[in-house]
Amino acid sequence: MSRKDSTGRNATFGHTELPDEEQAALRKAIRLSWLSIAFLVTAVTGVYLAMGSSQAMKAAWMEDLLSFIPPIAFLVAVHRTRKRPTPEHPYGYHRAVGVGHLVAATALLAMGAFMVFDSASGLVKAEHPPVGLMELGGNVVWSGWLMIAVLAYTAVPPVLLGRAKMPLAQQLHDRVLYADADMNKADWMTAVGGIVGILGIGLGLWWADAVAALFISGSILYDGVTNMRVAVSALMDARAETYDGQDPHPLVPQIDERLSALPWVASARSRVRDQGHVFHVESFVVPVDGYAPTLEDLTAARASVVELDWKIDDMVLAPVTELPEQLLPEAENQPVESDGGPDAGR
Amino acid sequence: MTRRFTTAVILAVLLLAGCSATIPTDPDGTLDRVSGGTLRVGVSPNPPWTDLPDGPDGDPAGTEVALVEQFAESIDAEVEWVPGGEEDLIGRLERSELDLVIGGLTAKSPWSEKAALTYRYLETTGPEGEKQLQVMAAPMGENAFLVELEHFLLEAHR
Repeated sequence: MSRKDSTGRNATFGHTELPDEEQAALRKAIRLSWLSIAFLVTAVTGVYLAMGSSQAMKAAWMEDLLSFIPPIAFLVAVHRTRKRPTPEHPYGYHRAVGVGHLVAATALLAMGAFMVFDSASGLVKAEHPPVGLMELGGNVVWSGWLMIAVLAYTAVPPVLLGRAKMPLAQQLHDRVLYADADMNKADWMTAVGGIVGILGIGLGLWWADAVAALFISGSILYDGVTNMRVAVSALMDARAETYDGQDPHPLVPQIDERLSALPWVASARSRVRDQGHVFHVESFVVPVDGYAPTLEDLTAARASVVELDWKIDDMVLAPVTELPEQLLPEAENQPVESDGGPDAGR
Repeated sequence: MTRRFTTAVILAVLLLAGCSATIPTDPDGTLDRVSGGTLRVGVSPNPPWTDLPDGPDGDPAGTEVALVEQFAESIDAEVEWVPGGEEDLIGRLERSELDLVIGGLTAKSPWSEKAALTYRYLETTGPEGEKQLQVMAAPMGENAFLVELEHFLLEAHR
């Protein structure tokens, strides 16, 4: 009954079976996350060994260290969400995604704030960073060149990983993977900022290092604030939105449209929350005057909505005499209208 | 937009790098000043590295004193010895009243926040048989001076 992935585990999110395409995407996302972790191990080691007393290198190192959190949060969350609902957790374990996201965002925010303070105080105190020689396999080099080489190495792979993860985040509707991909894509700026800082030291501009560190810390803080906002609003049961948190999810109007199109339905409205990967849908339908829907009507109506998308599985359909206003805030003012483009099924 | 900005920054830095003769350069020009001039060196007694056999007014002695004299010669500088305690000397180094402090310092020195410790030029065994890495203390961020001194120290112990 359940399809297996290459690891032999059920490729499910709770009791939601994943279509083949999404299963492939999930496997790829897991592979990419492990690849990210492997790359980060080399980056963290390399930057640590070349670090010396440069503030910018320290900031870049901290950022690499923090970059471990999103892929680990993703892997842990995916592992948790595979679990089927239990009597203790009737809604399943999908919220693991939201929890993972919040933890990652908190770490980014706290470290970002600390590092902004740290590098700003270095600038105010006019700390001149010493960068001397280093022995490397019998050769003596200025360690600034070494730092630049290591930073250049850390610039490229995250961008490629981020670009590969982004479409998967959309397909799997995974906020943590999205946050990770988004940060990866911007990672080259950290490396370039660090390189500019080190070159600045080389040219005798002591402040270049602290300014570069401030820039890097600022980008970490910004990541933290953005992610915190999305994670908190998801845990607060905000309406279902697209994977990047930019727009209302196109499936929501599609559900209402599908239900309203049924001949026995006068009007239909739903509230949809994002559980992490999958949606929890509560739909209210008002039958046309004088019609009492049969069990077959209701079952068919539910089935027609569930088949819209793999994300819709956990759905409750309630026939009502009129739309309950307290459960559907401002529903009257919003016409049922699908703005879903070619992506609408995603 | 950001990409164009970054490219501009990189180009500007490379251009600057092209104009400047040496990397690294001193923000406060220590190497330029001491070359052919006076090298002000703080000495904290710590035999056998540094010692003041004839009291604070006499000439200092010790292996690091000898090394510094050779280094000064290599950059054509006169050494002005300033004897004192470590904390006092590091304070003067921070205030740019000294160019170098010696006193058998090791890489574990807590002064690394206040002074640029050189690359460990020598590995020795401490009083309790532990490994010790000998360093000297240069002013913070005067990287051309630091690199010149480190080159000399590493050559001297090849």
